[in-house]
Amino acid sequence: MKKIEAVIRHVKLEEVKDALTEAGVQGMTVSEVRGFGRQKGYREQYRGEDYVVDFLPKVKMEVVVAEEQLPGVIETIIRAARTGQVGDGKIFVTDLEELVRIRTGESGGEAI
Amino acid sequence: MTFVKKIEAVIRHYKLEDVKNALSQVGVQGMTVNEVRGFGRQRGQKETYRGAEYTVDFLPKVKLEVIVEDSDVDKVIKTITETARTGQIGDGKIFVTNLADVIRIRTGETGRDAI
Repeated sequence: MKKIEAVIRHVKLEEVKDALTEAGVQGMTVSEVRGFGRQKGYREQYRGEDYVVDFLPKVKMEVVVAEEQLPGVIETIIRAARTGQVGDGKIFVTDLEELVRIRTGESGGEAI
Repeated sequence: MTFVKKIEAVIRHYKLEDVKNALSQVGVQGMTVNEVRGFGRQRGQKETYRGAEYTVDFLPKVKLEVIVEDSDVDKVIKTITETARTGQIGDGKIFVTNLADVIRIRTGETGRDAI
């Protein structure tokens, strides 16, 4: 099992959610985050002062998939979330050691 | 390998105090929580608003993160599951990942010593 975390633009959340649902991903958790990459946000002018806005609001989305689904799901997220502009986000994949559905106690693949 | 695991649990808001207390009782002293939204297989629930039926999918939940030694993982999973469960859809999930390292910022301690 793999945990996929994707930091994406707010405006892309619905689209990514719908694309993942269509691809058979059953659930997800999202949270509000702030972040920046190599380009460190952008420059802005405020009251005559030039400054760098680095922490930009993003959405972090987390999903769990079986190993076989991994390449397909990554591709789905990229296709739905990409605009081609700086700030599109990143995807992080980690191994999931264990997964448990609290309501039923099911674990492993059955809890996906 | 640090023999330390990260346990993330997405649970109902009102279960937070109970889970926190139960964890404290089994020796888990620290945790981080944040506000999240989510849904599982049942995709939230249907609601009616002004005569129109629609699906509310992203429901507010709390995500709780704790770090435990490998030998405590089963006990902690059991504690969280038993405390957070209501038996209704929306109880949440527990995710366990390996931690490559954990460091206490104040002292620089790492691994098990940083738990």
